[in-house]
Amino acid sequence: MNTVTLSVHVSDIEKLFREHNRALIAFLQCRLGSLSDAQEVAQEAYLRMLTMDNREEVESLRGYLFKIAGNLAIDRLRKRKVRSDFAIVQAHDEPMDEQSPDRHAIAVEQVAGLRHALRELPAKASQAFVMHVIEGRDFGSVAQTMKLSERMVRYHVAHALDHCRARVEEKEVP
Amino acid sequence: MANLQEDKIMQTAADWWVRLREPDTDGDTVEQWLAWTAEDDRHLQAFERVNAFAERLDHLDRVSRQGLINAFARPAPSPRRWLPLAAAASVAALVLSGAVYVGWTHFASGVTTQVYQSAVAQNGNFSLPDGTKVALGAASTLTVHYGRDRRSVELGGGEAFFDVVHDTSRPFEVTAGDVSVHDIGTAFDVRRTGDRVMIAVTQGRVAIADLRKDASRHNILEATAGQRVSYDPSASGMAVDTVTPAQVTAWQNDRLEFIDEPLGVVVANLNRYTSKPMHIADADLNGLTYTGTIRTDAIDSWVGALPEVFPLQVSKEADRIMLSDARHTVQH
Repeated sequence: MNTVTLSVHVSDIEKLFREHNRALIAFLQCRLGSLSDAQEVAQEAYLRMLTMDNREEVESLRGYLFKIAGNLAIDRLRKRKVRSDFAIVQAHDEPMDEQSPDRHAIAVEQVAGLRHALRELPAKASQAFVMHVIEGRDFGSVAQTMKLSERMVRYHVAHALDHCRARVEEKEVP
Repeated sequence: MANLQEDKIMQTAADWWVRLREPDTDGDTVEQWLAWTAEDDRHLQAFERVNAFAERLDHLDRVSRQGLINAFARPAPSPRRWLPLAAAASVAALVLSGAVYVGWTHFASGVTTQVYQSAVAQNGNFSLPDGTKVALGAASTLTVHYGRDRRSVELGGGEAFFDVVHDTSRPFEVTAGDVSVHDIGTAFDVRRTGDRVMIAVTQGRVAIADLRKDASRHNILEATAGQRVSYDPSASGMAVDTVTPAQVTAWQNDRLEFIDEPLGVVVANLNRYTSKPMHIADADLNGLTYTGTIRTDAIDSWVGALPEVFPLQVSKEADRIMLSDARHTVQH
């Protein structure tokens, strides 16, 4: 018969959850770009914490939780990449990506605002931003293409992200 | 004003967002970020707002996405990328942004001949003496014969995109195996995979002829922008379907797009972009058709996932990758 040994007190995990779950979800959403994926991965991370067998070696339970969650996020991104490499390019006369028409209408407005905001930025900032956020390339690959250091790429992406968010949000709030 | 302070917090949140994106963010960075979120309730809220915005962008549809990429992530190539060729009489090997010009030149009957060849995994861009622009795919060979009254280009293998300078007194013609393509004021792509040839037009019109001896002399097909013509020697006639300019030129942005193409053709074209070529061990696998986009820098992961979509088995050898029929293997 199999038994699962719980070497960590359930109350420890409950405490972690209470105090840090919101930050954990935010951390994972940043990595994964999806709140629902972040929630799933967080669940899995707590489960791993409950069944960990090296409790004595772990200095900080919180640090360990974020480490496990970060690794699970990497796995998920890897699987997603394999799937997208196989993403079937459907005939282009088919409706947009299963989106409902009203959702698409929002997207169109959003894109127009985004384009406008991107044009206000230095060309390098908008290029780095689109390559990373829209095209999904990692900072290393963007740096290589743009012949910049990764630090500069991160700087440009952060700047552009803040600017675009502010512009798009200010249009939406009456 | 309070807004100024809020703006500052939002900026810091965006900085943190970028720092935490890295898959290899170390534990210290995460600890520092947690400390920041603990400082002030507004900090985590601000971070969540950045997240929500980024997630919305992540859900953009494919067309908007591609539009943004074309507008901002592909700045116009600098003029230096289109190097004008040196005087035609020089017999020198030039390296043109990845494409190797192994050119030799001679003046037999007033015709100048130049040969361009690109290495595996290296695309190249250059201009021909008349200003026609060529983007040459990886592992491709182009032989250019320019004379006083004709411009003829032969694609020995691989893929090339032509943006042709129109000149009625000197027609422009591309031959690829059994097929010839005549420009009528045009930009178009030609891909040759063994005996199969595919022509995709992004601008203007071309006339496509079957050069086989038994083919009727009148067997000329005109294709216009947005059309793709496929020639397969084993099929009768040429097949025409539609294609977008983005699909035609995807390979110039490190993506190979395939629409209903035999696995054998897909593999042969991917092999132009990888140092570890794939080899199809069982001929019946050639008949499987594939539709999809493959990044040339992610061929390995594509191959790794192949058994999930096709009944085949992947075995990696020292210098090549074998694809065999999984059903055969099971029987052994």
